[in-house]
Amino acid sequence: MINIENVNFRYKGSGESGLHDITLNIADGETVLLCGASGCGKTTITRLVNGLIPHYYKGELEGTVTVNGRDIANTELYELASVVGTVFQNPRSQFFAVDTDGEITFGTENIGMSPEEIVRRKADITEEMGLSPLLGKSLFALSGGEKQKIACASVSALMPDIMILDEPSSNLDWKAIDELKNVIREWKEKGRTIIISEHRLWYLKYIVDRVIFLDKGQIAKEWNKAEFSSLTTEKLKEYGLRPITLEEKYIREFGGDIFSDTTENTIQYHTKADDIRIHDLFFTYTPPKYVVFKKKLTAENSDDYTLAVSDLSLPAGKVIGLIGKNGAGKSTFLRCLCGLEKDCPVKLTIGDEVVSGKKILNKCYMVMQDVDHQLFTDSVVSEVMLSMQDEDKERAENFITSLGLSGYENTHPMALSGGQKQRVAIASALAADASLLLFDEPTSGLDHKHMETVGELLKRLAVQGRTVIVSTHDPELISLCCEYVLCLEKGRIKYFRQV
Amino acid sequence: MMKISLDPRTKLFMIFAVSFIVMVNAVTPFEWGIRIAVTLIPILLMITEGKYASAFRFSLLYAAALILLKFFISSESTGFISAFLVGYCGIVAQFMPAMITAWYVIRTTKIGEFMSAMQKMHVPDGISISLAVVMRFFPTIKEEYGSICDAMKMRGISFGGGKVTKMIEYRMIPLLFSCVSIGEELSAAAVTRGLGAPVKRSSPYELRMKAADIITIAVFTVFTGLFITVKYIR
Repeated sequence: MINIENVNFRYKGSGESGLHDITLNIADGETVLLCGASGCGKTTITRLVNGLIPHYYKGELEGTVTVNGRDIANTELYELASVVGTVFQNPRSQFFAVDTDGEITFGTENIGMSPEEIVRRKADITEEMGLSPLLGKSLFALSGGEKQKIACASVSALMPDIMILDEPSSNLDWKAIDELKNVIREWKEKGRTIIISEHRLWYLKYIVDRVIFLDKGQIAKEWNKAEFSSLTTEKLKEYGLRPITLEEKYIREFGGDIFSDTTENTIQYHTKADDIRIHDLFFTYTPPKYVVFKKKLTAENSDDYTLAVSDLSLPAGKVIGLIGKNGAGKSTFLRCLCGLEKDCPVKLTIGDEVVSGKKILNKCYMVMQDVDHQLFTDSVVSEVMLSMQDEDKERAENFITSLGLSGYENTHPMALSGGQKQRVAIASALAADASLLLFDEPTSGLDHKHMETVGELLKRLAVQGRTVIVSTHDPELISLCCEYVLCLEKGRIKYFRQV
Repeated sequence: MMKISLDPRTKLFMIFAVSFIVMVNAVTPFEWGIRIAVTLIPILLMITEGKYASAFRFSLLYAAALILLKFFISSESTGFISAFLVGYCGIVAQFMPAMITAWYVIRTTKIGEFMSAMQKMHVPDGISISLAVVMRFFPTIKEEYGSICDAMKMRGISFGGGKVTKMIEYRMIPLLFSCVSIGEELSAAAVTRGLGAPVKRSSPYELRMKAADIITIAVFTVFTGLFITVKYIR
């Protein structure tokens, strides 16, 4: 039983109030979905329940929160560990161990459980979630879906009554989402109380009992299961939410074709004169052994490589969606394409020019998934000018205005929101005069409105004559802006066709 | 190749012994003998981990360093080239063996085993947890640093426009930002899973000293003992 009574909360050092007069009661065994735009207070509510507020994140808190009869404000976090379990959004920063076994048992070790009990629980969880192929591996070598599973297992090993999941599907492909759905369903059958904060709604519609819609830190709407599943896409759009049903063709595209067993290599595209052509894109994680000099990757041995695309034409001035399972090689493909992998012998033909080696870096620009890594200076305008050959303030300001960042010219990039940072990165890509723009999962973890903004922006870039390749798991983004899809499987092209 | 599994305590002792013998200045042929014998151990470790080519390359570099030290460099050498060579030999002969041993230990020790070993040695939880976090952070920093360098390459600012300060600034500031935020999220995730509870942490690993451990410790004790006797006592 969770009772949140008249809670107001404001993060320390933040002007706006985080939560405003929240009253929410969640019964035992209930599955509740929290939804709403980014920054609406979803995560803040989950922190009230797991005790991170007020024990870890400081701020002004009014009202009371009780979980299973304990007043959270007067309960130590370690006492809550076996009552409330939390799966966080970012697997990269929630793992304490470096190996899967250690991560699964981490919580049980902390509360001083006996070694026999730890071993027994680990065996149970492994059995229940089918984790045996993952045991004994390094966490850094796992795919997104596998990481998420380990995170769930680690929390589950403490057997808490209440499970919290904070945007669990952000980095997952279709199949991994399906597996996540099964994990949640199993918890539900065991009678656990589950709270999920999420932007993607379609996979949850048959699981949730109640949906809470938050707007600017307030509970704006509440739906039960029946009401929620009858909401139309237009209605959801009014609330700024993503659809709960997906178009048939994307179910086929993402659920069927990506995962079908046929390894056909179908390219349904007629080459044109102004195409961008990719040659010899080879990459391997197990390079041939060498003694003094590295061996060059060539087409002859390409069957053994992690990634091999020997010849591919891409239409110029279009948005191309790059899809594939977690671990199919999408990110590696993008890295090779923009010249970041030194061992990859890739060559590009753009117009009459053939570029290879380091020159590719001038022609291609990748906006990374984690844009924080890409921002170096202390103001937006200098960030954009940093990319230019000859610094031209007027031109930089044009790019900034065209991306809707005017007024932020002199702001420190790190002080901007996630979406704004992404646009700064795009502005510097434009300033660099790259003709091929690559985006690595630009919409993971974005709400409907921001996803739409990104989609529109990509379309606009294509209209301006840039070729855009965007890797994504997001069917909604594809339907919004991509004209072509390129599907990779095991580092090979599975198909390339018009949407 | 069969892998040897050693107790984390043995591995710790191995790091100390190798670092001590290899880094302390060796003068007489006998001291050099001990040092070379000890340096063979990291090479063996690389082979057990399947890094044959690296082991071979390191052996070559080490042999070259020894020859240079023996025949071409004396305490009177001056000039740029000999300074460079002294640097090269110092790094290869004095630091590399210790670094390879440390690499081996980090690569083969699970954090859980390490924590369990620290508990057996009665090290306070505060210290062992901090060390575990450091171990966990190495791969993370490497990953983050890698993506920052990639971003710099893409923007063509790897050399900071020729300014050394900019080169450092562009690398360090994003790295600090991301390490701080990862650290914060990491500790939030750890405290919700009971880290910091006022109970004795337990471990599923039952550590026991096996024959391989005893032999390894004995070998290193003998080497260290001999080295100290020869160098400081006799």
